[in-house]
Amino acid sequence: MTPRPCLPAAAGIGLRAPHVGHVLATRPQVAWFEVHSENYYADGGPALAALDRIRADYPLSLHGVGMSLGSTDPLDRGHLAKLKRLIARVDPAAVSEHLCWSGVAARHLNDLLPLPYTEEALDHVCARVGEVQDALGRELMVENVSSYLAFADATIPEWEFVAAVARRTGCKLLCDVNNIHINAVNHGFDADAYLAALPPAAIAEIHLAGFDASGPCLIDTHGAPVAPEVWALYARAIARFGPQPTLIEWDTDIPAFAVLEREAATAQSMLEARDAVAA
Amino acid sequence: MPSLRELQQRFADAAFAPPGTAPAFGVVAPADGALRIGIYRTAMFANYRNALSASYPVVLRLTGTRFFHTAVDAFVRAHPSTSGDLNVYGDAFGDFLAGYAPAANLPWLRDIARLEWAQDEAHRARDAVHAPETVFAALAAAPADRLPLLRVTLEPSCRLIASSYPVLRVWQVNQSGFEGDARVSLDEGADTLLVRRDAHGVSIERIGAGDFAWLAALAGNATLGSAIDAAQTADAGFDLGTALRAHIAAGTIAAIVDA
Repeated sequence: MTPRPCLPAAAGIGLRAPHVGHVLATRPQVAWFEVHSENYYADGGPALAALDRIRADYPLSLHGVGMSLGSTDPLDRGHLAKLKRLIARVDPAAVSEHLCWSGVAARHLNDLLPLPYTEEALDHVCARVGEVQDALGRELMVENVSSYLAFADATIPEWEFVAAVARRTGCKLLCDVNNIHINAVNHGFDADAYLAALPPAAIAEIHLAGFDASGPCLIDTHGAPVAPEVWALYARAIARFGPQPTLIEWDTDIPAFAVLEREAATAQSMLEARDAVAA
Repeated sequence: MPSLRELQQRFADAAFAPPGTAPAFGVVAPADGALRIGIYRTAMFANYRNALSASYPVVLRLTGTRFFHTAVDAFVRAHPSTSGDLNVYGDAFGDFLAGYAPAANLPWLRDIARLEWAQDEAHRARDAVHAPETVFAALAAAPADRLPLLRVTLEPSCRLIASSYPVLRVWQVNQSGFEGDARVSLDEGADTLLVRRDAHGVSIERIGAGDFAWLAALAGNATLGSAIDAAQTADAGFDLGTALRAHIAAGTIAAIVDA
């Protein structure tokens, strides 16, 4: 295997099953790929073999959607062991999970559910991030999630909660700019105040995706182009955090690969413009 | 104030509750509570519908989208996921359908589902080296008096599916691109099938009742000596030598175990 590269501060693409064949056949110019870790938890088979080939040619990031970091159930050791096995196999440039919970009392909802932002939840999730980082023997990136409801019992603003997790555990942050925009609209806060609260040194990756605005609140579908407001917020994010590995995510109504390449090209041009300003 | 665990349990209860149910915990903008938890409920069930549609395309095609989605929703409530890996969710769907009243007039549906899940598992099974010559050599090296005591290891992707219905035909005529007579008579008879993955992908092969009983016994860790009894009960004409040669050559039998 080629040595582990860092994620470059460039635009990458979330690689989903419908595009794997195309990528293997054409080897497009993409700075890096990210995959959902759980999609490669299999013991063997063609999907894993394809991932090995992707990994040989591109920096790879593993993005978990099922660790349920914030759940009050015990950490799923089997799930963790499979992540560890996958990390050993592909030696990824980065490993990330979500700052959320997904199931409780042995009932999994397989969704990224919001935590009540309280001192109790903060203590709990920090301990769990520490547990996972210890088990993996490496630094984790933790991503802020979108949400459609806010708990009345919350006592800490979301941005302070996220910053505190990084400060206390030493984990990195995967800053999902789309999620910040969605939550700012859904819960009525200032997205820029959120960005301002995050420690720039902890930011290690940025996510961009599209949402659905047709309902009573913004829904994080990952099924549309990045919205103009999110591109604008992204520009302010990289102005504050510096150029970051930036991922285009698209998970429902997955379009042709060329559409993702165009979105990535937009992010890339903004990263380069940011570099030019800095220089 | 409720504990974190209590809040999570109430959230999960609300997500699994019937549409329109308000959450039993405090939310900002309480007037919107039912609506907001409903967004999670809708997303959760849609997620499972999509996942099971991918694992059970023929069951979906046979029952239609509406029936299928209603069945999946009922299945999710009866057998919630217990894993953060959605790819392994749904193994019990076939057994659930067997007891699902709206599917009572489709008694073969369970076996179609089992066949589809077997393929799903075969796709994800551990990779194995195909080296029949090594297996033949191990067999030849075993002393004759040891032969009845030997066990075998089947190739890890092998799954055995038996049905009283012609499920392979049903499966075949429901593949996209199938051309020909798509009518299947349920009287066409029982099927004994071997599902496995090789370098070309996952295949389904119809095998004889004797071979099926023999492989099923071997998969259950029976010795060659006792597996032959099961095989001959199913098919008096079962020939051990022929079966051994065929299944070692094809890679179904991946190793000989003398222990």
